Amino acid sequence: MNAKDIIKLNNEKREQLSESNKTYYEDMLMYIRLNTNKSEQQTEEVLLELLEHLLEADNNGQTAKDVFGEDLKAYCNELISEIPGEKTSKNVSFIAFLILDLIAIVSIFQGVVGYGLYLFGLGSKYFSFPIGSGLVIVIIDLIILAIWIIVILKWLKNSSFKEKKPKKWVEFLQIWLICMAFIGLSVGVFIVMPDFGNTVNIHLLAVAIIGVVLYIVKIIINNKYRITK
Amino acid sequence: MSKRSQLLKGVLEGCILSIIKITPTYGYELSVKLQDYGLSNVSEGSIYPILLRLQKEKLIVGEMKDSDAGPKRKYYRLTEDGEISLQNFIKQWESIKEPVQSIINKGRE
Repeated sequence: MNAKDIIKLNNEKREQLSESNKTYYEDMLMYIRLNTNKSEQQTEEVLLELLEHLLEADNNGQTAKDVFGEDLKAYCNELISEIPGEKTSKNVSFIAFLILDLIAIVSIFQGVVGYGLYLFGLGSKYFSFPIGSGLVIVIIDLIILAIWIIVILKWLKNSSFKEKKPKKWVEFLQIWLICMAFIGLSVGVFIVMPDFGNTVNIHLLAVAIIGVVLYIVKIIINNKYRITK
Repeated sequence: MSKRSQLLKGVLEGCILSIIKITPTYGYELSVKLQDYGLSNVSEGSIYPILLRLQKEKLIVGEMKDSDAGPKRKYYRLTEDGEISLQNFIKQWESIKEPVQSIINKGRE
């Protein structure tokens, strides 16, 4: 059974838990899933086992703490330490997939919006960028994106298993600051970077078509290798 | 599981291997069997980290299969390495069981 199928099964079964056990379980689920370097298959298999066990316990009137011990976070840490790591090939293909997706969407957007503006007499019908600095900006922005994702995941992990939930506006402010810093840095690189390398001109419609082709490739890959579904 | 139960962990591993050897078993079923044998003060959840470790060491393998009751469950069975490991455990256990018991008994007198 594929990890994605197990996730679907988990989503259905989780609804059968009692209110309090569901809260406990979802905390555990999030905390364990946030360990992105662990084998997805093994993670989902053990999460389903814990759920099945908790459902039985639920029927006997037990709570998650009766089954997994008082300190749920410590229990989860123990589990996580025993889950094998994800294969490097799987990690690499997942990241490549995300980058492909990102480039496809940006190209479609750039091509369609740019060409639309051109039709209304705004801007040129060519997408032009200096190849050297253009590539450097893309690479730096991808690195910033990766750091941003890691920071958000860390933040989420820290927010689980809190007996006293912090105020909503405090959480909002924290996330807002992280996102502002990310957007600021990404755009900042674009502004600060001096142009270098030959300028390349590509017709905006060609950019849009490249984007659509990449998007179709992305969908085919996803259907075949079930990367996100 | 707390630190005090290092001993328990090793013994529990042996028990899990023994039970799985008899017949392929899934997580909850395994915990019920352990309780039935009287290991009732072992926290139920403690079997899952052990099952993960045994899988990592390739002593057992888990397979998602349809159960009699319907839902898909992960059934564990023993591998050849698991069989060897179980024999070692039994040998060790047999060799310390009696001496430990008599030492404890002496201490109680």
